[in-house]
Amino acid sequence: MLPWHRTIIAFLLLVIIGPSSGCNVMRITLNTPITPGDVAFIVPGQTTLPEVVERLGSPDSLNNTSTGFVSIYRFLDMKYARVNLGWVARFWSPVDPDLIFSRTGFGTDALQVFYDKNGVVVEHSFLRHLKELQFHPYPF
Amino acid sequence: MTIFRSLLLLATLTLLAQGCAFSRGTLGDDIETDAVGTIKKGVTTKTEALALLGAPDRILPLNGRDLYQYYRYDAKAGSLLLILVNFSRLSVKSDDLFVIINQTGVVEDVISSKRTENLEFRFWPFGE
Repeated sequence: MLPWHRTIIAFLLLVIIGPSSGCNVMRITLNTPITPGDVAFIVPGQTTLPEVVERLGSPDSLNNTSTGFVSIYRFLDMKYARVNLGWVARFWSPVDPDLIFSRTGFGTDALQVFYDKNGVVVEHSFLRHLKELQFHPYPF
Repeated sequence: MTIFRSLLLLATLTLLAQGCAFSRGTLGDDIETDAVGTIKKGVTTKTEALALLGAPDRILPLNGRDLYQYYRYDAKAGSLLLILVNFSRLSVKSDDLFVIINQTGVVEDVISSKRTENLEFRFWPFGE
């Protein structure tokens, strides 16, 4: 992810979290997450770039490699949960105490598809092997 | 009975809701599908492509060819602000267009898709 992508997401995060109440549950998705099932159609040595683009759409970037080029599909599925246990005390407390537990899971991943110089897939792989993230405010 | 339940749900939500919020952010110019459609592989020249699409956001070398990349980002956020809990969801998608120009200055390939067309405002953070 480029630096300005992070800046935009951080800004939007603040805008959304700003008017907070006792609990917050938030999710940010960047592009549609791609699963191993979505790329099962890719057969190294046979599948071509147009076929990949037809199924997955255009990639986020194309770059040179020593044997051809690589297309990269980036995606993110961020889950954030926050609970402010001190929020309940504001009904009887003269001050507005905070006792906040929060946790963020950045589900960043990318699919890399390597092609030869003729645009035929050589191999493909995910950058990370993410498990399904859950909303868990407990940070410990 | 279904109408009664729907009204009850609506009344409950109205009582609990402090408000809701919609936010949207975009980055880059819209990639015009008509302009992309007029580009012909093996016919359109670099000059014509630039006249149709404007200057690219990025230029990269790709095995002796030039790769012009155009992109646009669209973000839609929805927040449901209840008394005790807030639900928010931000969805960001991008449109990317790649135009590959060969060494003779002619368009060799065009790769494009519009992912932002199906982007919707969503509140509910669970599920898909």
